Amino acid sequence: MAEEEDGKEYRWETGYEKTWEAIKEDDEGLLEGSVAEIIQRAKRKRQAERHGNTRLGMMRHIYLVIDNSECMNNQDLKPTRQLCNSKNLINFNLFHYYLQLLEGFIDEFFDQNPISQMGIIITKNKRAERISELAGNSRKHIKAVQQLNQIPCSGEPSLQNALELALRSLKMLPSHASREILILMGSLTTCDPGDISVTIQNLKSQGVRCSVIALAAEVHVCRRLCRETGGLFGVILDDCHYKDQLLQHVDPPPAATFLDSSLIKMGFPHHNILEGKEASLTMCMCHVDAPDGEDSKLKSGGYFCPQCYSKYCELPVECKACGLTLVSAPHLARSYHHLFPVENFIELEYKDVKEANELCYACQKKFADIDKHVYECGKCSRIFCLDCDLFIHDSLHTCPGCATNPTTLQDILTSAPS
Amino acid sequence: MSEEVDISLLVIILDTNPAQKKLREDTHILTLCLESIIALANSHLMLKATNKLAILACHRKSTEFLYPPPQTAAGASTLSMRQIDGQYELFTQVEKTVRQNLQNLVMQDVRNITTESSTESLLAGAIAMALCYIHRLEVELPAGSKMNSRVLTVTGSADSASQYMSYMNVFFTAQKQNVTLDVCSLDQDMGLLQQGCDITGGLYLRIPQIQGLLQYLLWVFLPEPPIRKKLVLPPPVKVDYRAACFCHRELIDIGFVCSVCLSIFCKFSPICTTCHTVFKSPGPLPIKPRRRKSSSAK
Repeated sequence: MAEEEDGKEYRWETGYEKTWEAIKEDDEGLLEGSVAEIIQRAKRKRQAERHGNTRLGMMRHIYLVIDNSECMNNQDLKPTRQLCNSKNLINFNLFHYYLQLLEGFIDEFFDQNPISQMGIIITKNKRAERISELAGNSRKHIKAVQQLNQIPCSGEPSLQNALELALRSLKMLPSHASREILILMGSLTTCDPGDISVTIQNLKSQGVRCSVIALAAEVHVCRRLCRETGGLFGVILDDCHYKDQLLQHVDPPPAATFLDSSLIKMGFPHHNILEGKEASLTMCMCHVDAPDGEDSKLKSGGYFCPQCYSKYCELPVECKACGLTLVSAPHLARSYHHLFPVENFIELEYKDVKEANELCYACQKKFADIDKHVYECGKCSRIFCLDCDLFIHDSLHTCPGCATNPTTLQDILTSAPS
Repeated sequence: MSEEVDISLLVIILDTNPAQKKLREDTHILTLCLESIIALANSHLMLKATNKLAILACHRKSTEFLYPPPQTAAGASTLSMRQIDGQYELFTQVEKTVRQNLQNLVMQDVRNITTESSTESLLAGAIAMALCYIHRLEVELPAGSKMNSRVLTVTGSADSASQYMSYMNVFFTAQKQNVTLDVCSLDQDMGLLQQGCDITGGLYLRIPQIQGLLQYLLWVFLPEPPIRKKLVLPPPVKVDYRAACFCHRELIDIGFVCSVCLSIFCKFSPICTTCHTVFKSPGPLPIKPRRRKSSSAK
């Protein structure tokens, strides 16, 4: 069993014992302070693990495989009481709730990776079916996921069929795109037509990174799949943990070594609104095949492909006529913060800097005794509180101290990314 | 009957960089701007008792909070807040604090003057600080109350392409936090800030006559975002979202994007200048040996 061990040990191997001793009461006998501290420490640890120097796969093509088998009808996992109180819980279907969280993931994914594409596959009745093609439009996928609510869950899932189906389209992608599969596995069994080891080898040779989020328990074949292909494996504890696991996949993964780097030709159309009597009403290419009544409107303005002048109503999109990828500059700019991340701040004890600084530089909060640690930026030497530190690293991606000082701004611009 | 009243937070960023063209032409412009802004701030506070205000000055070397005054023990504001002319005390406090702090800021800069003078105003950093402040206030909100926030930037500088990354980061963060960015430009059209207003749903206005600054501020920028849908305000400007190539800084229609660092180039080059990766030259696409693969799988 030695090859199974990958750093995380099992309880029966006495990998960890007496985990309750990690939580200690503070002076007043309350646990809140120590629990909050544990959460903050976990957040900072995750931040510290993100290095700025690894090459990331930005143009991601990911297939979501959703398990639609009958075990998804199980009511054993319940959402937290807070949620139970807020929603009306008669005939609350857990599957629907998890699909809702998945919609949140899809939105967040396209928000952080605007030039990526996603496809959705479901597996049930020992077969796999693609319900949404690889596309960069989040609304189409969310609609497909919402329609899953009407389809009943039945039968057994088939892991191999789903993987083979995803592999068929991922194989044909250009080499500079990162290929990923994310599997949401709710059942403990799978019904496969052939040897899944062959499929795993195929995935490995094609450079597809498979990750699994198991809703029930750990299954050996899933863990092996993730380990062989370099993906992440997780089993969820409750709905908050499920959300957390999903959000882990929003960040771009480190690029595989054989990911080719190439120059991709892209078009940057501008939004033209033709006015006047000569404005012709035309239909956009994205909805020209749609059945009547589904967002297909005649409009006089839109985005025109610079190569073939076909009209599209929204970006990013791949031009159907000439194959050029159309994006707008902010879409690319959304991914820049992955390439130029803010360096981790240095943690200092508050008592050491008490005399010089009483306020957090960014939010002007007065430091109190409960702020045991303050954070200093390595470049501009400004002091920030914990909340600002997390906000800057998670959302803002710009240090206000460095950005308001002309000398440090010059330093940031001239430091070349790897 | 208790109506739920939204708290409205207005953060004003005033560009006090002495290198601005307008300020160099006529130094009294800053006084005019300051008075108009104080009038706008007081009008905002007058609309509702729950409204909040913050004013930042974006100066050459740093950005400082003019209001609320920094609560350090050393600089304890012991300004006498006696009523003058029957003015509401809060307004007097705002006016006095802002003037005092701005005076301190400018005098401090004059003392530390060095020969190097940067001509760019670091507005992206100022907006970042405003966002941190807004984030802190949202965390400190009592449960059950809602707050809508906006950041008004009053500036006379020109666009600065070197801050592109910082600008984009703050625009996307503002969009996510539901903060509206408004821009009042005294001098020139600023493409980047226009993009920011478009992304966050705010208003961009270029003032044709600076003498009428207060009128424009009260007409366009005083109403809070939920009310704006009911008013007729200047129409949004058509924003050019085309990208600029990294080699010539020209706007391009079709470009080549490096898959590693996402830099944009107008023509093919074998090496990316930003991340130094080598690209394969675009020959004819090799015919994929599909037939061989399918036969080996059998």
